[in-house]
Amino acid sequence: MEILSSDSVKNYLLAALPIAESQRWLPLMESVDLPLGQVLYESGTTLSHVYFPTTAIISLLYVMENGASAEIAVVGNEGIVGISLFMGGESTSSRAVVQSAGKGFRLKAQLMKDEFNRAGPVLHLLLRYTQALITQMAQTAVCNRHHSLDQQLCRWLLLSLDRLEGNQLVMTQELIANMLGVRREGVTEGALKLQHAGLIRYARGHITVLDRPGLERRSCECYAVVKKEYERLLPRTQES
Amino acid sequence: MCAAIRSAWRIKRMLASHTLRGPLSIVQNHLIELLPRTARLRLLAICEPVELVMAEVLSEVGIPTRHVYFPTKSFISLVTPIKGKPVLEVGMIGREGMLGTQLALGVRAAPLHALVQGPGTAWRIGAVAFRSELARSSALQRSLNRYVYVMMMQLASAASCLRFHQIEPRLARWLLMTQDRAQSNTFHITHEFLAYMLGVRRVGVTAAASVLQRAGLIKYHRGEIEVLSRRGLEAAACSCYAADRKAYADMLH
Repeated sequence: MEILSSDSVKNYLLAALPIAESQRWLPLMESVDLPLGQVLYESGTTLSHVYFPTTAIISLLYVMENGASAEIAVVGNEGIVGISLFMGGESTSSRAVVQSAGKGFRLKAQLMKDEFNRAGPVLHLLLRYTQALITQMAQTAVCNRHHSLDQQLCRWLLLSLDRLEGNQLVMTQELIANMLGVRREGVTEGALKLQHAGLIRYARGHITVLDRPGLERRSCECYAVVKKEYERLLPRTQES
Repeated sequence: MCAAIRSAWRIKRMLASHTLRGPLSIVQNHLIELLPRTARLRLLAICEPVELVMAEVLSEVGIPTRHVYFPTKSFISLVTPIKGKPVLEVGMIGREGMLGTQLALGVRAAPLHALVQGPGTAWRIGAVAFRSELARSSALQRSLNRYVYVMMMQLASAASCLRFHQIEPRLARWLLMTQDRAQSNTFHITHEFLAYMLGVRRVGVTAAASVLQRAGLIKYHRGEIEVLSRRGLEAAACSCYAADRKAYADMLH
């Protein structure tokens, strides 16, 4: 069943494509490296591609008028970056930044639109994914208001961990601070607390998660809510 | 089926009798108005008019959607729950929008709590009828996808607004959003309800409302808010208000 290359099935949306679609898509997909910090698109620009991360994690940030930004969602191997394209927006009002380096596939914007307009199984899959993303965004909004930085940090680490192959994240505190929309010192303090509790080890930009259940206990409910909704809306296909 | 035909006739008669004011004036929901004529008439044929009551709960997280609503005079708050209790407003739906877009995404369970914040009229359609109309009408699909996207941008701006903005500009934004949907300068709202919508303590709301009142932008008396200066509120509101308006105008015109 080598329809798409074995790498591409690491993205669950691609893996869930019916065979006919996989065959059509394979020659059109381009494998890309996604280095830490790379901006896939800026707020207000027209999208040239959509991205299907496999090992990379992309952060979607909402950019305000004064330039301040906060993360609204993360997308990894469960998703696609660039949904505004098929939801009808010519441009996007969020910024997409690689928050954990890795690989992914991309598809030209026009091809994606054509595929969506076929109104076949791809459309239904992508629409369901959109609903899952909406849940994540709503939960992030409420989390920003009601939960402590510690809890948010745990949520954020868990969301990232789910999208990684191992248990290690390469990440600067500055980047985390940008994602969570807080000052760097806040992140440092939060990370130290988690380290003292034996949940993570943090050294020179490498975060190693030591105790996942511990992080889950310490996180606010937002992580579980989002995870449950993704599992419900996008049940993972049998891995081949 | 008979009911659908009768309903279609009723709508046609209503449209015909309103030609002087333009056939759209009775529709009063912008999303429906934007549809091409055929799609619009077909949708209206399956709509039933309802009167929504203040604080009525229209959807609950995880519960399958029974009806979709297109508000005309009413408006609805979308609220995210924490531990099962609704705690914070993340979106608002009035005559510019629709409640139940998850059906357009092929999902039956509602993602958020929805409760009536401004009582009044709305069009309502049963979930089954709506889904079959959606399957037939690509115009409706296109229009709703764009609306879903606007709602996502509203959620995105809510996420950063809640993070960065102070209570006062957020209150000003909220009042403007409400005024747009209430289609009136005066509306009824208690401090408790406001606090819960904005996710802050009551004293915070009281203080912020007094600042706006002293500046002559609103009058607040016994739960009755009157907007005195819309322009002043626009200046006091955070940029999220204008950003939301722009996202809507860009996508749905």
